[in-house]
Amino acid sequence: MSDASVPASAHPAAPGPSIMRLAVHREDVAVGDEIVRHRLLSRVIHWVVALFFMVALLTGMPIYSPVFGWMATLFGGLSVCRWLHAWSGIAFSVASAVMVLHWLSDMKLVPHDLKFNLVQYMQFSAAEDPEIGKYNPGQKLFFWTIPLVTLMVLLSGIPLWWPTKFGSTLRQVCIIVHDVGFIMWFVAIVGHVYLGTAAEPGTFRSMTRGTVTKAWARLHHPKWFRDVTGDRKE
Amino acid sequence: MGAIQGFEIRRSSASLRGSATQLRTLPVVAKYIDTSTCIGCKACEVACQEWNDLPVSQTEQVGTYQTMPSLQASYWNLIQFREVDYQGGVAWLMRKDQCMHCADPGCLAACPAPGAIVQYQNGIVDVDPEKCIGCGLCEPGCPFDVPRYSERTNKMAKCTLCVDRVEVGLEPACVKACPTGCLQFGDKDTLLAYGKHRVTALKEGGFAEAAVYDPPGVGGTSVITVLRHGDHPEWYGLPKDPTVPVAVSLWKRILHPLGFIAMGAALFGTLGHFMTVGPKKPKDTSTTSGGEV
Repeated sequence: MSDASVPASAHPAAPGPSIMRLAVHREDVAVGDEIVRHRLLSRVIHWVVALFFMVALLTGMPIYSPVFGWMATLFGGLSVCRWLHAWSGIAFSVASAVMVLHWLSDMKLVPHDLKFNLVQYMQFSAAEDPEIGKYNPGQKLFFWTIPLVTLMVLLSGIPLWWPTKFGSTLRQVCIIVHDVGFIMWFVAIVGHVYLGTAAEPGTFRSMTRGTVTKAWARLHHPKWFRDVTGDRKE
Repeated sequence: MGAIQGFEIRRSSASLRGSATQLRTLPVVAKYIDTSTCIGCKACEVACQEWNDLPVSQTEQVGTYQTMPSLQASYWNLIQFREVDYQGGVAWLMRKDQCMHCADPGCLAACPAPGAIVQYQNGIVDVDPEKCIGCGLCEPGCPFDVPRYSERTNKMAKCTLCVDRVEVGLEPACVKACPTGCLQFGDKDTLLAYGKHRVTALKEGGFAEAAVYDPPGVGGTSVITVLRHGDHPEWYGLPKDPTVPVAVSLWKRILHPLGFIAMGAALFGTLGHFMTVGPKKPKDTSTTSGGEV
């Protein structure tokens, strides 16, 4: 997982631009006070998935309930949503398949992950388990939810897309499955955005600039921090 | 054609309520079909195509006199021919199939487009193509398999009970064309009484199970059908006890409220978490300003 750490002294003059350039191709590298967490490709994949997700979400919600009807005006009306939702759903499914393959090796569950307690974690009080690597088990859980729910929503969405090609009973089942999948998505994405922004400051930049501070890494992902920096003190 | 202006709307799809003011009341109308006097001439089919200006459809031989296997987006009225073993012989059954205009329409409940399916105060269920988004969700909502999605127009289409004729005081085209009087149009209560009278006559004639088909599971329908074999509506291709499909009720009445609760819980839950537990920040940070834990 970890590349060799680049000593801060190698770039004494301008650590800012150089780490940005480094972050285009490499990750898990420390420079100065920063560590590259997501290289450019990872970030681009994430935001492409996010874009298609948001389009699918905002075109699906006005079909889900007229309460969200105003969202349809963002795209030019409900008739536009009816086809854009299907195509953005397909695009999202393809993009998230690429994303799953891209992150596959980092997201492998290890026996230690079973010790993770989400409720306890969300209390933010206890010290982080020192054995937490680049992704904690909660992140892995979210990650593995993606292909499951995507498959659920994709497979139930196809008969809803083509009314004349599928039977009535199948489509009734699909309505239910599609809606349950949507609700799961909504709850999961609210949690994901919250944890990535307000709840854990310093996280969002890992998906924009691509880097985090060493202090952030030491707090949230101690084992990853040690692996990247070679620091064995903590 | 959009929604008819002259009629107030009792219920509208994906809307809280229609435009009905309750200041004036329209009687609920109905189309009366007596299958025992239908001769299967299909004049109603032709009249429907003519009045509604629907394009010619390809007929399909299905082994009976039936024009095609089932209704189409451009064929809203179909006489269904069936043969059933009955008392050592054959009962040759004909039934006019079209939208039943349910008092509790499953299509309207399932429709996500505001105003695309409306129920006028007189009970007629109509589609407004201008507002229909062609999603086809009405179709699994219908217990009678009536709405048809057209790939050509990308809209749903079905019998309107000739609401454009009814609005100006005319009977539906099919009723106008019927040569035997097995089709009638008018006030539903009057026609129900008429149907009861007819059922009594049929019972006297040896059809002890004769009945008027006005299924209570969908609140009754504005198309009422006299059946000789009222105990076997399925012989005529009618469901025995139709209701709004369980999936649609589950979806709209249970899943929707639960969904809103889950969405609200997610949003307010994170807000509550932020206000009580707060952000998790590095302790020894030199890059953030706050300075608290």
